[in-house]
Amino acid sequence: MLDAKKGTLPKLEGRAAWKFEDEDYDIDQIIGVKNIRIQDLDELCSIAMKSYDPHFQSSIRVGDLLVGGENFGFGHPHSPPMKAMRHMGIGGVIAESFAPTYYRGETAMGFPQITCPGILSAVERWDVLRVVWSSSKVINVTQGTEIPFEMPTKTEQNLLIHGGHMNYLYEAVSNAAGLKD
Amino acid sequence: MSGKTMVEKIMGRISGGNPVSAGDEVKVRPDFVMAYDFPGYTDVIFKTVKEKFGLTELPAKERFVIFIDHMVPAVDPKEEEFHEMTRSWCREFDIACVEREGIGHHVAGETGYGVPGAFAVHYDGHISQLGALGCLAVNMPRQTLTEAFVREYIDFQVPQTIRLNLVGKVQPGVMPRDLFHGIVQKLGNKFARFAVLELGGEVIDTLSLDGRQALTSISMFTGALSAVINPDQAMLDYALPIARLDIEPVTSDPDCRYAAVHTVDVSDIGVMVAQPPSPSRTTPLDEVSGLDVQVGYIGSCASGRIEDLRAAAKVLQGKQLAPGFSLHVVPTSKRVMTKAAEEGLLQVFSECGAFVSSASCDFCYGRIATMRDGQRAVSTGTLNVKGRMGSPDSEIFLVNAAVVARTAIDGRIPRSEDMMSEVQ
Repeated sequence: MLDAKKGTLPKLEGRAAWKFEDEDYDIDQIIGVKNIRIQDLDELCSIAMKSYDPHFQSSIRVGDLLVGGENFGFGHPHSPPMKAMRHMGIGGVIAESFAPTYYRGETAMGFPQITCPGILSAVERWDVLRVVWSSSKVINVTQGTEIPFEMPTKTEQNLLIHGGHMNYLYEAVSNAAGLKD
Repeated sequence: MSGKTMVEKIMGRISGGNPVSAGDEVKVRPDFVMAYDFPGYTDVIFKTVKEKFGLTELPAKERFVIFIDHMVPAVDPKEEEFHEMTRSWCREFDIACVEREGIGHHVAGETGYGVPGAFAVHYDGHISQLGALGCLAVNMPRQTLTEAFVREYIDFQVPQTIRLNLVGKVQPGVMPRDLFHGIVQKLGNKFARFAVLELGGEVIDTLSLDGRQALTSISMFTGALSAVINPDQAMLDYALPIARLDIEPVTSDPDCRYAAVHTVDVSDIGVMVAQPPSPSRTTPLDEVSGLDVQVGYIGSCASGRIEDLRAAAKVLQGKQLAPGFSLHVVPTSKRVMTKAAEEGLLQVFSECGAFVSSASCDFCYGRIATMRDGQRAVSTGTLNVKGRMGSPDSEIFLVNAAVVARTAIDGRIPRSEDMMSEVQ
């Protein structure tokens, strides 16, 4: 069985910075396919979400969240769009459901992805949301409502606790080798 | 107590030998760890393994294989330097490095990595095609694959299995790619999300290894983590003599527990197309018949095998390409190309005016034969998202190899009924 890991899951509380209502949303659209090879984070941030809201970047506060629909992340997702989102301060994504390649990839980066059926109709843009891990509920603070979400697996929780798979692995290997106190 | 799926049996064996069930979180030891060298992927893994973790050897190194199949041939010194770095790293760690053999996902099956009952990991999802041989091959995020390089056991949740029975009669002109697009049209692009898709039924029984690989290679477009087929005698006869691992093949028990069971009657699946810009936008070919097209591609890890080449050559025999049409024919592996040469297929392609290349992944993602704005392609490649084969303002229609061939002659997409007479 998996080892018990110390640590806490990341605090997730922020405003719904955007609602991606489309089913099968392709995250590459966040920056546009023609920009998919850009690696510079500042350049990516200056492009990201421009076609949805020209003032998106300046509107964001650290910890804000994205809300998505069914099968969020479908397609052939590349890493730059969500690198840009994280760099801007987005704390995580809460969606009706996720496409596996996207979900597993971002979770491995330590970027929380919360599967929460019903979220799309329960949230308006800029509502304040709080993820309560202990009760598996998303609280809509603005509306005074709550909605259950599906807890990530133990392995996924470990990745989130450690801020990504590489941190988790390094700690696990270091502990096994007696390299850490 | 119910029986076990083949996935549960494989997971049980590689997690210590105790029975496991879908949903269990276990530590598993992959039988094979695979990758193709690509900037930002293998170089990062190599560096991490050596510098961050300080390893000088890999755990059970005989399990590892690196394929060089992208950026082949190199078009600038940096690419060749990258390949040389890969070769050097493989020599230093004494692991297999395979190149000039073809597209790795397919070559893996040709060279004994597709062991029935084995578990293989890669960072690319099309490795799922080893499922045609009864090998569970799953793509992992790059970080998880790094873990498999660093230590023998990785954390994994035993996936659910969704059973899909294909029954009925395959119609004339319909190839395995059409069947896959037809399945997506009927069941949608997410019916197998996070599960392993187990294909079976009388239609699967009639398919060769080529056809089974075509179906399993693109199973990700159903949302599946991978796909498997219970190996029959023909697959065992192919796989076991070359198997790199001596393990017992497994099949699902009749009373195993599937997360869902679907049955699709293929009798009403005609010639299909996946329209741009998504592999889930599958429709009958007739919705796009008559569209002008300038580029054709027959190849990829999904559909560049000998049966695809035979079907295309039959259409192209004695014909010439439409004026201005560029047709690229890229057999999936060296062995496939050699076979095509023996059968005279390469001569057909050459005489009709096609550009014929040794195996490479590069046509599939636009690194070679890059499309410009406004061009339209028919392709047997894996994907048709925007910009996949060049300009974001070009379009890719995924079809079977015979449809690509016929389009190359006419310069426009044919009607379904044209194809029924082309391929019997």
